[in-house]
Amino acid sequence: MIVLRNMLLSGRRNKTGHNIKAGFRKEPYLIINIFFAGVILLIFAYSGFFSPEKNNYPVVCIHEKLTGQPCVSCGLSHSFSLIVRGRVEEAYQWNHYGMRIFLFFAAQLLLRITFSIFYIKYHDVRRKLIIVDCIGSGIIFLAAFWPFISNIFTGIFYTAS
Amino acid sequence: MEEVKNNSGQNLGIAALITAVITFVLAVIPCVGLIAIIPGIIAIVLATVGLSQASRGNSPRGVMLAGLIIAIIASMISFSQIFVAGKIVNKADKWPLNIQNIVNDVQDNVNKDIEDAKVSIKVESNGAKVEINTSSDKKDQEKKLEDLEGGNTPKKDTIQKHDSTQKHVIIRKKK
Repeated sequence: MIVLRNMLLSGRRNKTGHNIKAGFRKEPYLIINIFFAGVILLIFAYSGFFSPEKNNYPVVCIHEKLTGQPCVSCGLSHSFSLIVRGRVEEAYQWNHYGMRIFLFFAAQLLLRITFSIFYIKYHDVRRKLIIVDCIGSGIIFLAAFWPFISNIFTGIFYTAS
Repeated sequence: MEEVKNNSGQNLGIAALITAVITFVLAVIPCVGLIAIIPGIIAIVLATVGLSQASRGNSPRGVMLAGLIIAIIASMISFSQIFVAGKIVNKADKWPLNIQNIVNDVQDNVNKDIEDAKVSIKVESNGAKVEINTSSDKKDQEKKLEDLEGGNTPKKDTIQKHDSTQKHVIIRKKK
């Protein structure tokens, strides 16, 4: 941790010889990574804090409130809470896609940490690293959220016809 | 002479990008996609202000542009969800009448089918074969009724009691 801090806060020279301070303040990528990691941890904390037995989730389905019909993402909070508690079978019953969304967030948390370490360690490949991160995360996002995205398109075509 | 670049608008750009990505994730979840337009608009405003500051200060604009594009796409997705939900609500107003019509249609069809139904039951077991044919055809029933009224009825006016247990016994014996 101390090594990491020193690396970030110490002055470094890049290829062109410009003295750049590789601290958090001058590295948007690191700030974004830390922020996203924090958001994902908050999601996990939310899932762990609210109990599926008590059913005391503050977030309600607005779609269901408006249309009176349950949507494809209903039961996602329940599903997350059950996954955090290790009750995967029940989580599938609450929301069929809960597991893949949870895995997406878990993978993103790991990727944020891994890519941040690589970003600090290897200065020469920073640009490539960001491109790989964007493309990789985009693909994982599409794979995880595809049922929801396809549902949006289905809804648009259904209402248009 | 080298161009001097500063970081004006950079913090706004980072804030815009973070907000835009969160908006994007929220927008594709139907439960909360409807309210994702609020952070979407915030992200667009942040990115626009950041871009204007960056253009004045000659600083890099990549983060702000990325934030702006993602925020616009996310807002469009969110807006489409609002549009779809609105359409569903409009259609839902007509549903009770449609459902009543569908129920009536199904009821009529079932009644019609029952009137013309011809039932055939075949039971086969170890070579033993029992076949029962019956018809609930309306015309057949009317003919039977006419026959009954016309005096073609058997003289016995008492109904013979059908012994169902006897049938079972016979089948068992055959087995």
